[in-house]
Amino acid sequence: MSNCARRHRRKARSRAARRRAQRRRRDTLAALTAGALAVPGLAGPAAAEGLIDRVGADYNFSRYSEGKISSSKVAVGSERGRYDIDMHQVRFATPIADRFDLGLDIVHESMSGATPWYVIPGDDGKPVQVMTGATIEDKRTDALLEGRYYMDRAQASLNGGVSFEKDYFAVNGGLGGQLELNENNTTLSSGLGVSIDSIDPVDTDEYPLRPDHEKKQTYSAFAGISQVLRRNIAVQSTLTYQLGRGFLSDPYKQALVEGEPFADSRPDLRHQIAWLSRYRHHFSSVSASFHANYQFYWDDWSITAHSFEVAWYQSLFEAFRLIPSVRYYSQGKADFYAPYYEQPRADGLYSSDYRLSPYGAISWRIRAETRFRTWRLDWLASFSWERYLSSGSYAMQKVSAANPGLVNYDLFSVGLTTRF
Amino acid sequence: MLRLAVSLLLALPLLAASGCAAVKPWERDVLARPDMAWEPDTLEAKRNSHIRYSKEASLPGGGAGGGGCGCN
Repeated sequence: MSNCARRHRRKARSRAARRRAQRRRRDTLAALTAGALAVPGLAGPAAAEGLIDRVGADYNFSRYSEGKISSSKVAVGSERGRYDIDMHQVRFATPIADRFDLGLDIVHESMSGATPWYVIPGDDGKPVQVMTGATIEDKRTDALLEGRYYMDRAQASLNGGVSFEKDYFAVNGGLGGQLELNENNTTLSSGLGVSIDSIDPVDTDEYPLRPDHEKKQTYSAFAGISQVLRRNIAVQSTLTYQLGRGFLSDPYKQALVEGEPFADSRPDLRHQIAWLSRYRHHFSSVSASFHANYQFYWDDWSITAHSFEVAWYQSLFEAFRLIPSVRYYSQGKADFYAPYYEQPRADGLYSSDYRLSPYGAISWRIRAETRFRTWRLDWLASFSWERYLSSGSYAMQKVSAANPGLVNYDLFSVGLTTRF
Repeated sequence: MLRLAVSLLLALPLLAASGCAAVKPWERDVLARPDMAWEPDTLEAKRNSHIRYSKEASLPGGGAGGGGCGCN
């Protein structure tokens, strides 16, 4: 080998060693940064919890199945089966530069079945549900792109997305920011969002009460504070405000007014406020974490709601985790809601939608997940099952006539996550 | 009930602002655990928010934005 070739080989080895050293320093820095940013006290209310230091891909498949409506609550001859939805979710996330990462979320849903249409008085005077025929078939695709830029004590994010169905199109965008204070034990976060939606109901010739084309806009803002209380305890409180304006009714629902069908008609303005508080506590002695969430909700349609949720994240062995959780929810009714109307209202507002009715709901969920490493990749596989039951008798307040269309459902889900 | 809810909501930020013992960066190993995240599974959190937004009157709190849907 000539001297020239030896010099080239020495230089190449030297360059490779420098690159390896730089990569080690970068990996160490990224791990430290990710560890610091991943703590709850530094993470905002948005989904991302900190700087992404590795390319990641997540996939989740869910099957949502609503239970059959009871024969005593449905009109004679009406469909009893309800909605089924298959949902595929994919997420890709990658670091773009030392301080910048990018995430792409795609959701595809296939829906089929029947949904509540309107309510009529039954033979015994109790309201009974009339369902749509079991002919609804629809698909929804949603895509959201989000970029995050990280500074020494702050981060900023920008996102934009679209959601489209056969009869619905929405374009949305948002921006957010976080600021760390008090030796990074306190995080202030805030953000703004907007969604511009267009509604084009189908089969309007067959159902003349449905509008041909409508629009609505939704503007939202939030502000939150996260605080590390101890090495193993963190709390967060977030206030969210949303303003909806435009067509806020459901084009596929009707209300019975003096025995005649009437289009679902809601106000064209809605102010909503949600205050969410969350608590996280890790118990090292039993290798488990306790999660508790409480949300208070209010809107100017006179609905208030409370939701309580607790979860226990139990680690078993090195790579397995079992997570049981329970949630309780209770809401009041919208001031213009009634199962059906015996007299016309002066304001012309009518809705018999069960989602605006007074009720309570109890749900429980069990999730199992395991971590493993294969093909030089880190994987997380998960399975979960949730049952959701709603009833007028579960509400905090007394409900004299519960809506017959209240929903019960099962949700099965499998997920796979990998980091490259 | 409303009074209790408002009291709880006011108590949290006050607790946070009450000057709790500062946790140093090298003491954050427990807080950095995945099961201590606000949302340990991003996809699951988004799916649950979407279902509740579709089936309940209330608004999923904790953030802003996202696309609407013609959910029945």
